[in-house]
Amino acid sequence: MDEKDGEETTYEVPIGPIHPALKEPFLIKFKLDGEEIVDADPHPGMNHRGIEFMGMHRNPVKVIPLSERICGICSIVHQHMYTTAVEHAVDIVPTNRARYIRTIMMELERIHSHVLWAGVAAHEIGFDTHLHFTWKIREKVMDLLEKISGNRVNYSMWTFGGVRRDITEDMHPDIDETLDYYLDLYDKLEDIFLGDPSIRHRTKNIGILTEEDAMKLCGVGPTVRASGVKKDVRIDQPYAAYGDLDIDYVIPSRYDYEDVGDVFSKTLVRLKEVVQSINIIRQCVEKMPEGEITSEPNMAALLNKLKSAEGEGVGRIEAPRGEAMHYVRLVEDNEDVDCWKVRASTYNNLATYAPMFLGEQIADIPIIAASIDPCIGCMDRAEIVDVNTGEKEEYTDEELHELSVQKTERMLGGIDE
Amino acid sequence: MNEIELPMGLDEFGAYFKERLGEQILNFKKEKIEKGVDKNEIKFIWMTVEKEAFREAVRAIAEIQIPHLSVASGSDKGEFVELIYHFEVNFSYPGEETTINLKVHLSKDDLTIPTITDIIPGALTTEREKQEFLGIDVIDIPDDRRLWLDENYPEDRYPWRWDEKGMEDMSRHIHENEETLEEPVAERSKKEGGD
Repeated sequence: MDEKDGEETTYEVPIGPIHPALKEPFLIKFKLDGEEIVDADPHPGMNHRGIEFMGMHRNPVKVIPLSERICGICSIVHQHMYTTAVEHAVDIVPTNRARYIRTIMMELERIHSHVLWAGVAAHEIGFDTHLHFTWKIREKVMDLLEKISGNRVNYSMWTFGGVRRDITEDMHPDIDETLDYYLDLYDKLEDIFLGDPSIRHRTKNIGILTEEDAMKLCGVGPTVRASGVKKDVRIDQPYAAYGDLDIDYVIPSRYDYEDVGDVFSKTLVRLKEVVQSINIIRQCVEKMPEGEITSEPNMAALLNKLKSAEGEGVGRIEAPRGEAMHYVRLVEDNEDVDCWKVRASTYNNLATYAPMFLGEQIADIPIIAASIDPCIGCMDRAEIVDVNTGEKEEYTDEELHELSVQKTERMLGGIDE
Repeated sequence: MNEIELPMGLDEFGAYFKERLGEQILNFKKEKIEKGVDKNEIKFIWMTVEKEAFREAVRAIAEIQIPHLSVASGSDKGEFVELIYHFEVNFSYPGEETTINLKVHLSKDDLTIPTITDIIPGALTTEREKQEFLGIDVIDIPDDRRLWLDENYPEDRYPWRWDEKGMEDMSRHIHENEETLEEPVAERSKKEGGD
């Protein structure tokens, strides 16, 4: 708390961290001057499971399913990074067909993730009809993922040198149908999230991340592309089959919008990426080469080879939330993975919170926090401490959410007038 | 110094770092791997530098382009702790992005490394993580609080160390976490002398 002439001017407001239904609890401590945010300090680690330590006590094959369980929504992401890092370390070359299957799966996951995010964003500003709408249409891509891999979540598709399940000709009509379904709905999505005046009021010029901050703070993904930064691993350092495909950076200025870096721009980038993903999957289905789905079908022989292998590798990916990477080192006298470093997208985007929150209002906290698409579902509980008297005032998640909804209603009233 | 033209090729990087760092580069390796049916290549540089030249190396990278620091990896290699800073440069140029893996070795009697947050502000998260997981000291770090580990976790134990400061012995007792709060498991393991 700061003091001026004996009167307190700022309050500290912790938000988070506990909620049993969250996949990742999280805490942000805010300093407030009245309604205005003057400082934001994120405190992650509420659910640190030491997964890297666990990985360093398992052999390289056992780490594949472990890596997949780092995150529920981007389970493919971590699996892909881990397997490509090991492939890099010991010179395993995946088959061409596997590269295309991997690309299709990763793009389906991106559609899933972005549609889910749009629902969360709508919920945070009080549009629960849109939450139910987006989560309903999300089922379609999950059904397709289940049809291909057998699972709705944690697809268990990856192996060293390729994938474990093929995408055969008879699946193409299903893929086509799903992509058409999203393409047909796209106009409606765009109308809701970009056209609706009340949503525009809550997202335009809110939570701005400037291009300079985005670069300096090493932010990743749609969070920085919304500010006009051209960073996309799929194009910059193409992995899987992306090098063969026609794909361009999704930044707002490509669609005649300004690269502002506010919540609106971030929504725009994510929605346009859904269309981009549909386009990429179409290209992949069309160009998919014939051949084997893995170059290392004998798992026992592969494990023997990996146990005595020596080398280090890096696996990078453009996850739905942004660039992420794994570093893996294998050494000859250690049959377990010798070093495994996991870095997810939100890790880098954590630093971008401070400039985005600065100067905004307490009712905007939920939508700005959601705008980087963090691996947290919602805000749990806020507590306002008056440091002078030591009195505590608590906000539950409902009350904080209510503040946000009220702001929308106030704005709607303004529009009607 | 000559004007830098982007994107830089792997050979240009080699010449550039040799000019900037000279003898202080202990090891330099260029690597290309092929991806996709069209066999487009992705590029890596692995570079080990003297600890004294570490900040100069980061400055050299930062002068090419505002670099993207992916993360710093670290591991305990017995005699020393190895840190690897993974930088990305040449981004925004399709297919040209190059990962520069900058390695530096810290001997166990002097586990310190200067901060690079003044050059790249985004490095703070990863520097804080390295402090608590490897027990190194980042000199002049603007914020040295813990980031991930619980406040009940013992002060002088580090999850990624394999020597006596690691948590190998503690991990055997991890299921008894209620007692952990009363008496640190590290203490208890010492009494039992391991199993």
